Amino acid sequence: MLVLCACQAYAHGTGYRHSGLKAVALEFFYSDGEKMSYREARVFSPRDEKFAVQTGRTDEEGRFAFVPDCPGEWRVIVRDEEGHQCTASVGVRDEGLGARGEGLARKDDARPEMLIRAILGVSLLFNIAMIVRVKHNAHK
Amino acid sequence: MHISEGILSGGVLIAGWAVTCAGVGVGLKRTDPAKIVRTALLASAFFLASLVHVKIGPGSAHLLLIAPMGIILGWAVFPAVLAALMLQALLFGFGGLLVLGVNTMVMAGSALAVYGVFGRAVRERGSLAMAFIAGVSGVMLAAVFAGICLALSDSGFVNAAKILAVAHIPVALIEGAVTAFLVAWLKKAAPEFLS
Repeated sequence: MLVLCACQAYAHGTGYRHSGLKAVALEFFYSDGEKMSYREARVFSPRDEKFAVQTGRTDEEGRFAFVPDCPGEWRVIVRDEEGHQCTASVGVRDEGLGARGEGLARKDDARPEMLIRAILGVSLLFNIAMIVRVKHNAHK
Repeated sequence: MHISEGILSGGVLIAGWAVTCAGVGVGLKRTDPAKIVRTALLASAFFLASLVHVKIGPGSAHLLLIAPMGIILGWAVFPAVLAALMLQALLFGFGGLLVLGVNTMVMAGSALAVYGVFGRAVRERGSLAMAFIAGVSGVMLAAVFAGICLALSDSGFVNAAKILAVAHIPVALIEGAVTAFLVAWLKKAAPEFLS
């Protein structure tokens, strides 16, 4: 009975073991060499390019690691609040998943896109206001 | 100061939406349609302010414009902040849609409190000292409200809430100065904004 209880308790517990898979570790930095510390990072698998399979933040040194589980082109996008964005494309080979990842980091600047979105947002706010105003004037 | 999605408990999220819905309801009733463009202008300023980050030490911060929003808009601050935060969530991924109620409650609630305490002194007398204190108070109130929401969700967030409040002290001082400058400028250039 004691053994049964112990097994039941263990089934609801937690545990860990060393994974045989090797992680791909990347370092992110700005063009002036400054590290992209504590920035938002999203990992996209070759199977699904729309939804991130992993999210997190870079560490103080701008490093981020993930463990690929299928071959193909993996993407890691790191961005900051000011609109800077860095996309790393990592080719993972078939043999020994996660054993070899060659990173080709590309520096994108998301600021033009953010500017367009900001203009869209302001435009929407004023359009809503104008609709309310026109409706109010029509009721008068 | 956006609280991210997936952090707060269900009870806090529901309470946030309840307060926000009530605030928006009252705000819409009290909003003068003739002044709706002014509301859109301030909502736009609030929407854009979060995009301009200034480096402070190892981190960065942005203006919140809580006190100017509250003093100029009064109750209309609730619909204005809700619209601006919703667009920030949809267009930039700041905060989130589920947590939008709490974020609106935190920002608009602080702005409304500033309006209630300092509104008359700033609008009628144009007191710059009061405008400065209002600016500081708006940011600190929002930090405290956000901290309370975090602490109510999980006792493990109590330290994070304290850090949040302390980290916003420089932002509060800057916002106080910006609010005083804005009030001084509005008194001369567009006094109808303070009427």
